[in-house]
Amino acid sequence: MFYVKCGFIITFWLLIASFFHYTLPQVDIARVTDTYEKRIDPGENRLFWAQADAGSDPNALSRDVFFIQTRRADGTVMVYRNEDTGWGWPPYFKFDTSNLQAEAADAKSTAASPQYMAIRHYGWRNEFFSIFPNAISVWPVDGPEASKPLPWLNVLILTILAAICYGIWVRWRRFREKRIDPKLEEMQDSWEATEDSLAEKRSRLRRWWAAKRRGY
Amino acid sequence: MAALARMLFIGFIVLTIIYICLSFYSRAVRRGKLEAEWDEARGPGDRESFVRAGLAEYDGSLRRKLILGVYVIPSIAVGLLIYFTNFA
Repeated sequence: MFYVKCGFIITFWLLIASFFHYTLPQVDIARVTDTYEKRIDPGENRLFWAQADAGSDPNALSRDVFFIQTRRADGTVMVYRNEDTGWGWPPYFKFDTSNLQAEAADAKSTAASPQYMAIRHYGWRNEFFSIFPNAISVWPVDGPEASKPLPWLNVLILTILAAICYGIWVRWRRFREKRIDPKLEEMQDSWEATEDSLAEKRSRLRRWWAAKRRGY
Repeated sequence: MAALARMLFIGFIVLTIIYICLSFYSRAVRRGKLEAEWDEARGPGDRESFVRAGLAEYDGSLRRKLILGVYVIPSIAVGLLIYFTNFA
């Protein structure tokens, strides 16, 4: 039972953590090597693709998606998709996909004369599901060692959420101590009283029966 | 526009739930404070009418209208996000 409970708690917190890790923005320092667009038919990985651009037909099954190919400062490659999040989830309200693609295409550079860019994005790259992080914005930086901006928005969001959860939890606990626990105790007391009176009746019955058998 | 309408609709429902919960909670806190105040001072008037008058005053107060911030703050946040994501 202990392990089951632990398993549930760990699973719950892992889900919460991965939700935030997927949704909150992060910044990569990378060199844009190319940009392209590809037709995409989301299938099982639909959850990890955004919807059609704001304003276009939301029911179209397949559509073209912009991609930004990069090589990061540590030498690995990363491919970002570039999609509108529009009015949907996650709430980045990104509508400037085409403008961002124009900026990224303008920032292309070669290994010989690198121009490093900071790319703010959310999401995960996973080869097994063919999912890509979604780029939010790009801006030029000095080099591969350039410092990333402080993630103050993430800090703010997580702090506010933690404060709200703590506030609700404290009030719920207070409410339970004041209103629910006394009621439960009352119920337990009355149950015990019922049991006692039942036991009393039973023993009286037993005495009566014993007396009867002895034929008094 | 369907996506915008859906976001506004869902947002409105969620914020309304939060608004209702908050306003009930705030009123209950105010009631508790008024009752504690009367219990300490034993007056003026009887407890019932003292609490009722205090709550009537609370109903017209700025503090209660501040709960409307539940609608205002997310709207401003969305506006700022749209600006900083697309135009800054």
